[in-house]
Amino acid sequence: MRPIIVISAFVALIAGWFVLNSGQNKATPITLTFHAQMGDEPLIYDQFIYENPGGQGQFRVRDFRFYLSNLSFGHGGETYAEPDSYHLLRFDNADSAHSITLPEVPLPSVETVRFLIGVDPAANTSIEARGDLDPNSQMAWNWEVGYKFVVFEGALQVGEDVSPLVYHVGFSENAREVEFSIPAEALADGKQEVNLIVDLAKLFDNAALIDMQALPSVKFNRTDADALADNYATMIAPTF
Amino acid sequence: MRWVVLILAAAGVAAAGWVVWDRVRGPTATPIADFSAPFVFGRFAVPPDNAMTQEAFTLGRHLFYDPILSGNNEVSCATCHVQELAFTDGLAKSPTLSGGELDFSSMSLANLLWGQERFFWDGRATSLEEQALMPIQHPEEMGQDIDALMEELRVSGSYRKMFRQAYGSVTPENTAKALATFMRLLISSNSKYDQYLRGEVRLTAQEEHGRKLFMAHPDTKVSLRGGNCIDCHSQFLTSGFRDALDGFSNNGLDSDETMPDGLMAVTGNPAHKGFFKVPTLRNIAVTAPYMHDGRFDTLEDVMDHYNDGIVVSDTLSPLILEADNAPEAGQGTVGLRMTPDEIQAIIAFLDTLTDEAFLTNPQFSNPIEGGS
Repeated sequence: MRPIIVISAFVALIAGWFVLNSGQNKATPITLTFHAQMGDEPLIYDQFIYENPGGQGQFRVRDFRFYLSNLSFGHGGETYAEPDSYHLLRFDNADSAHSITLPEVPLPSVETVRFLIGVDPAANTSIEARGDLDPNSQMAWNWEVGYKFVVFEGALQVGEDVSPLVYHVGFSENAREVEFSIPAEALADGKQEVNLIVDLAKLFDNAALIDMQALPSVKFNRTDADALADNYATMIAPTF
Repeated sequence: MRWVVLILAAAGVAAAGWVVWDRVRGPTATPIADFSAPFVFGRFAVPPDNAMTQEAFTLGRHLFYDPILSGNNEVSCATCHVQELAFTDGLAKSPTLSGGELDFSSMSLANLLWGQERFFWDGRATSLEEQALMPIQHPEEMGQDIDALMEELRVSGSYRKMFRQAYGSVTPENTAKALATFMRLLISSNSKYDQYLRGEVRLTAQEEHGRKLFMAHPDTKVSLRGGNCIDCHSQFLTSGFRDALDGFSNNGLDSDETMPDGLMAVTGNPAHKGFFKVPTLRNIAVTAPYMHDGRFDTLEDVMDHYNDGIVVSDTLSPLILEADNAPEAGQGTVGLRMTPDEIQAIIAFLDTLTDEAFLTNPQFSNPIEGGS
């Protein structure tokens, strides 16, 4: 009789350890998928199909990309920050989309998501390659200035005239924080994906309305850069 | 006496066994032990199935310099890639076997571990392994049948041994891997600019002026003057960018009517028409003539092109079209509109990219006695 009690106790101990342990270490897989749109439609490159929001003519998009960094997730009072969290989001693919997958966020579930559009000051002034940061990439201005945060390049057509559009927004003060909550049902029943819309139209038509003819480029002028940063601050929103 | 005979016999068997074993065992390649890359060059990737080893480098170096690789046994890789010219040939376009000229200028081979992961001016090869066999088999470059080449290499005891030690057997795949390894290890990292980046030397005032111009996109709104080089040539590598197709651009050489297809021939995307690979500027002072077709003889000619000779086309980089140091509208020309002093400063900076140690490194030279 005695051995059975010992074995039973041992089995209960092991089972209990597994139950408790799995509860403590519960990890949540999550995928954030960003869909580039112009207004309500998927972004289309290289065609003069978009109206200059603040003036005459139509514009086309040759390039649109930005840094998303310092991604963190919250659950109750707990937060988890992704290490080396520097993602270059680009949308020149068939789906005009970009996904970030974390197979194991060490939280029981995810209630809030936070990130920066741009790069934090410490990383922005470093030449260390971390995440998607690469001082030899197109996103580097040079190491005295840091990275471009948001890049838009294209052209504006007014009548027969075609002129270049170059909007490069950087400078550490132009990083903008985005935070949103995830309703419980969105990640229930094995669902792992959160879809977000990146509305490029908001870069030019938001707090500030941009006439691309009057302002065909933004680079190192801090007032112009700040205006575009306030515009892109709200260009990303989740859809549930 | 019997013992002596037995011992000798055993030794003989052991020696014969070692010889047989040495021939049948797998490759004995040793990883390159002291390999280190400059921090500022950033990340690089070596294909997992082609680790960089001493034996692969040695084999690749022999193959690179051996005219046996060509159909007529007269042309080696080194015919068009000469070390002292940073592995270019000094010609606008390389000669064809039939006496004409190829479509493109011979590309410099330096720091290929970094930058674009597509090779040739139009990016038609997606790895150095894929690239390596293409000139060999091109009817106008080296004109060699790859199977015939394997037969020729297998006849050579020294090649059989070098292949055995590096990879195993003599195959086209292993030939490509060895050539790729040799090219990957052609690293130029001791120019004056590198020494400056390591804090070992100072640049002159003119070179420093040129460096600043190189790194700046001009912005008249904040009185920032720039040569705009960094929009295509990365700041430390000075090559094109690595991500996706970022390292290809239309830099305003031709009109829509006369423009060659470039990258569009590979991707089929009309937005890539006239795009060519942005080359490294390492050792640029010794790699004249310039551009994919060698149309410019000097760096002054190149700077003149960017300063006021840009030809506008539909796929021209907006960064080139938009970059202008003069606040007022141009009078019929498109370009940077820098001063002569600024142009000379940029050229002075470009001269700091020459790496004499690279151009004369004995490890990169012809290993075949008597030369070729």
